[in-house]
Amino acid sequence: MLRLPPFRYHRPVTVSEAVALHLECETGQYVAGGTDLIPNMKHGLFEPPDLISLRRVQELRGVERRNGELRVGAGETLASIATDPLVLEHAPALAAAAGQVAGPQLRNAGTLGGNLCLDTRCTYYNQTRFWREALGFCLKKDGSVCHVTKVGKKCVAAHSADTPPVLMSLDATVELTGPDGSRELPVADLFVTDGIWNSRREPSEVLCAVRIPVRPDRRQGYAKLRQRKSIDFPLLTVAVAADMAGDVVTSVRGVVTALGARPRVLSGWDELAQGRRLDADLIEALAARAHEQCRPLENMIVDVDWRRAMVPVYVRKALAQLVR
Amino acid sequence: MPTLLTAFPDFRQLSDRRGRPWRTSDRPSTPAPGSAHVGQGNGVVRLKVNGDVYEVGVPEHYTLLETLRYGIGLTGSKQGCDKGDCGACTVLADGHPILSCITPVWEAEAFEVRTVEGLADGTRPHPVQDEFDLNGAAQCGFCTPGILCSAVALLDRNQSPTRDEIREALSGNLCRCTGYTKIYDAVEAAAGRLREGAP
Amino acid sequence: MIRPSRSDHRVIGHPQRKIEGLAKSTGRAVYTDDITLPGMLHGKILRSPHPHAEIVSIDTTAAAALEGVHAVITGRDMPVQYGIIPWTPDEYPLCVNRVRYIGDGVAAVAALDEDTANRALGLIDVEYRELPAYLTPQEAAAATTDFIHEPKKPGHNGNVTKRVRLEFGDVDDGLDESELVVEGDYFFEGTTHTPIEPHCAIGLFEGDGKLTVWSATQVPHYLHRELARVLDLEGAKVRVVQPLVGGAFGGKSEPFDLEFCVAKLSMMTGRPVKILYTREEVFYAHRGRHPFHMRYRTGVDGEGKLKAVDAEILLDGGAYASFGLVTTYYAGQLLCAPYALPAYRFDSTRVYTNKPACGPKRGHGSVQPRFAFEVQMDKLAERVGMDPIEFRRLNFIGEDTRTINELRITSNGFLECLEAVERASDWKARFRQLPFGQGLGIAGSTYISGTNYPIYPNDMPQSGVQIQIDRSGRVAVFSGGSEIGQGCDSVVAYIAAEELGVPISHVRVLRGDTDFTPVDLGAYSSRVTFMLGNACIQAARELRAKVQSAVGEAWECPPDRVDLLGGLAVDTADPARSLPIAEAFNLAEARFGTLGATGSYNTPKDVHGEYRGGTIGASPAYSFTAHVAEVRVDVETGIVEVEKIWIAHDCGKALNPVLVEGQMEGSAYMGYAEALMEEQIFKDADHGRAGLHNAPSLLDYRIPTSLDTPAMESFIVESNDPEGPYGAKEAGEGPLHPSIPAIANAIYDAIGVRLDRLPFSPPNVWRRIREAEAGGGLTKPGAPSREVGVAP
Repeated sequence: MLRLPPFRYHRPVTVSEAVALHLECETGQYVAGGTDLIPNMKHGLFEPPDLISLRRVQELRGVERRNGELRVGAGETLASIATDPLVLEHAPALAAAAGQVAGPQLRNAGTLGGNLCLDTRCTYYNQTRFWREALGFCLKKDGSVCHVTKVGKKCVAAHSADTPPVLMSLDATVELTGPDGSRELPVADLFVTDGIWNSRREPSEVLCAVRIPVRPDRRQGYAKLRQRKSIDFPLLTVAVAADMAGDVVTSVRGVVTALGARPRVLSGWDELAQGRRLDADLIEALAARAHEQCRPLENMIVDVDWRRAMVPVYVRKALAQLVR
Repeated sequence: MPTLLTAFPDFRQLSDRRGRPWRTSDRPSTPAPGSAHVGQGNGVVRLKVNGDVYEVGVPEHYTLLETLRYGIGLTGSKQGCDKGDCGACTVLADGHPILSCITPVWEAEAFEVRTVEGLADGTRPHPVQDEFDLNGAAQCGFCTPGILCSAVALLDRNQSPTRDEIREALSGNLCRCTGYTKIYDAVEAAAGRLREGAP
Repeated sequence: MIRPSRSDHRVIGHPQRKIEGLAKSTGRAVYTDDITLPGMLHGKILRSPHPHAEIVSIDTTAAAALEGVHAVITGRDMPVQYGIIPWTPDEYPLCVNRVRYIGDGVAAVAALDEDTANRALGLIDVEYRELPAYLTPQEAAAATTDFIHEPKKPGHNGNVTKRVRLEFGDVDDGLDESELVVEGDYFFEGTTHTPIEPHCAIGLFEGDGKLTVWSATQVPHYLHRELARVLDLEGAKVRVVQPLVGGAFGGKSEPFDLEFCVAKLSMMTGRPVKILYTREEVFYAHRGRHPFHMRYRTGVDGEGKLKAVDAEILLDGGAYASFGLVTTYYAGQLLCAPYALPAYRFDSTRVYTNKPACGPKRGHGSVQPRFAFEVQMDKLAERVGMDPIEFRRLNFIGEDTRTINELRITSNGFLECLEAVERASDWKARFRQLPFGQGLGIAGSTYISGTNYPIYPNDMPQSGVQIQIDRSGRVAVFSGGSEIGQGCDSVVAYIAAEELGVPISHVRVLRGDTDFTPVDLGAYSSRVTFMLGNACIQAARELRAKVQSAVGEAWECPPDRVDLLGGLAVDTADPARSLPIAEAFNLAEARFGTLGATGSYNTPKDVHGEYRGGTIGASPAYSFTAHVAEVRVDVETGIVEVEKIWIAHDCGKALNPVLVEGQMEGSAYMGYAEALMEEQIFKDADHGRAGLHNAPSLLDYRIPTSLDTPAMESFIVESNDPEGPYGAKEAGEGPLHPSIPAIANAIYDAIGVRLDRLPFSPPNVWRRIREAEAGGGLTKPGAPSREVGVAP
């Protein structure tokens, strides 16, 4: 059996305890559901001497609507988010995305916060230590070469989480709490294009909650491509949201992920869509615009030309959900 | 209270990954709020499994699966893929299927664990266990314990599942022998027995 | 030669529980890794990070000095070559001076726990000198130096494991005389078995010189022999115990490094040693489906009758021979039914490459050519304007006949199989008539019910069973059969219950232990029900006769008036007269002494041709299968949804129809998986590291989930084979074959695009669709234009 490296396991019950422990351990790492971190630790990708579990922290739980926002605790499991009545009402695309992460058992343990903090993935990285050693390691962990680009010093491991594109399309923000206090950050600003650590969250910060504006005029769509209908990570995830004035689009956003180190906000959509009806022509134009912008890399072991060709297909599928 | 105390070989020999033994001074001191459990590297974990309480001496980096199989001796839950890809290690945590091979054992203090060994009522198998046998739903039987846990979780909340609901509920459990058809037959038959009032 | 004795079977032919079924569904069933022995150590194997290299030196000093480490071994501790095929021993338990793939075993340690063993591996210092690596069979076949194995003769290419060229009839004339010849190039990608249970073994060497190895193996007998030979122990002092096996599919059908290592490490430490493979190591152990590069030419006459078939096949064998000699023959030999081939030639070459060794996976050696051939059949049927089912009927070989390569065919229910799937799928109303994007495809196949000869030449039985009866009425069956999930322990219990009239619950099957079970050669080549079943019938009938005789004596009636059934001995002429079966057994024991009997099965020897290689592919009986697959193809994405597979299989006689259906569905599923998603592939120099397994995990080597797997419907066809137990033949491998070509042919029906390379994954299908669009667009193929036998 693949073994976990040794660690000490801490189980705080409040966010402040967790942050204090992190400060004290120096080399600690937070873990919630563990569905991403624990397999990665079995691969020797992380070897934190201290794990700080967030599962007992009740503050991280709960879904509530207040002040025109839906506030979802980061410790809620993906399974509970997929079926939560408030989420289904106000953020159905989030429920859809959460309900399609991996398989049922992982959704019962994995959390929204964990999904937002998911490590980037790459065929040259998510492998055992033996395998990576035979490879000669890679830029992201233990090595100095990127086997995807073969040049450069930038890691291009793919952001592979399902919920962040949805949250970005819905203008959501995250609440972070660290040793220096709490702060908020739009989800769109949470990610950077560095595959090694693609987040603006400091390692000492706990991602506490997600806040999603409640907008009755907003329509949401979500489409996911993967090889199998369960278990697999996405090959492509598309989230779209359109603000409507009657039948006319006032603003439309599309976010695509599983291409590079952070989700890509599709550009140039508003200029195509503003003031227009959401019809087949517009959907086609938006899909074409998406296609121009998205160039997958060989960070996954699936034909890049096909993945690129699927971008407009899945953008159309997502946009079609907005048509009433 | 039934208690089993087991020490794994490396229970007292913990070292960091560079092979140096951990010293007391390496351990973080207790943080101010006091209520947090502070990791010691190893200790005695208290697990509630199938209604029994076990106290097991276990290093902190052990998984729930390793502790069930090699500490408590409940070998029904299986290890197939090492890391959460196949579902053979599925157990119920407060009734919800989770993967015990990627669950740190100390997490399991927070819930009641039910394994395949805890599905039967004494000598009377759960209807879905019996129907697995009657329908040939277990060939090699290695994925069976995990699938049964997922199936029982489904039947606990839905005694009239459609075939699509069964397929969805079992979609995190890989079976390599059956092609799943006989498994669906067994779950449907068990649901029928439960609707008719089978215990 | 055993014929069904009675048609009114009480047990046989009826749905039954499996004898270990409840143990499996309650978590009590014991597999190898469920066993913990007192004082047990844990072993780990150090593996090569190079695809091809010379071992210059190994320094184990630091590892051996680590606290908690009890022993360290290298290849030099077991420098004896082995191989499952006696003519091609080319492996060491641990590499001695050369590593041949990334993952090849180099050294092993035994330590107090797994963590310590892993740390010790990190302290072993191996110096390698890298050699050129051959990753494709074409490169390997063209090599002139740095061969993966030493050439057997000077001047030969050491990268060639085996070449087989056989011709039956005159193929060139046949093709010349053909009205139409279809040529095609096909590629079958390698796939692996992926049992959910990883390999595991425990060794225990005791002070008295006896070695016991518990192992998740399909072949305890061959393991027993090889352990004794490699470790230089007397066979009589070696015991192999086979706990329940959590799936195998051919992937556990030869000895592996861990079995030798646990034995040797226990011999050095005096303590039990366990090694459990990680999932990654299972992918390196492999022995799965060979990648096949195939070229077929198939000719038909004006009537649509096959005239000649010409095949060239290149097998990518990986680093070791494994069963490859047999695979090279099977690649050609198993194609000669269910259709009559007047002339047939194949040229089959297996080469070594620096990748994990390929071997036998469910449908060994014949799944790949069957894919190519059945697609060829579909192309031919279309070209001659015939319905492909009618085309197959027209070319049916018949029963009680010989194939062109002289294999004896006895029972043959292929026509009934075709009819069953044709009717169930509503073929006539729907083939070529579904809307664009939806399609139906047909394919047929045949497979052996066991190889006619054992792997090492000998005249002893292939299978043996011993039965002993207790005064309580309990029947003990000592069976060497390898239960790997297929149900062979239950089959012998059903047979004992049927013949001796006891309830199944009174039968104990004592199994999986070479210390007390007669030899059965193992669970491979679909041999078990046929051979073990016949052996069991023989033993049971000997006892049955004794019981009949003793009871007849007591009742003063002829023995054949005494029937044993339902827990009773009954007078068939006077049903009012009966005895509880235990009392009947007691009469027999009083009359004959302790009640025990053995039964053996050996194959008939007149079932094949007398040419070199003629015995390979020979079997006492052949199963037949037909599938219809229904697909839906999204031309935009290349995603193929297989909506349903109708499976009809001639298993001779279903001893337990539930188990037979389970084998049919499991086989069809596995074929579906190979058709749509599975690929055991490796990185090349442009992608990180040549020879590195692409994705040795169950996340990235994708096997279908419940949401992916198509609906399946099974139709059992019973042709009552004259030599099978109660008429039974195999069911565990044959039904895999047609899945793949049936799906390929259904995709063609849906969108008019031929897929001649596996897998039909969305990117591959998408590329073929784009090519077809560029070449003139996609259209649904036209309906067959003529009836059978009508000239164009």
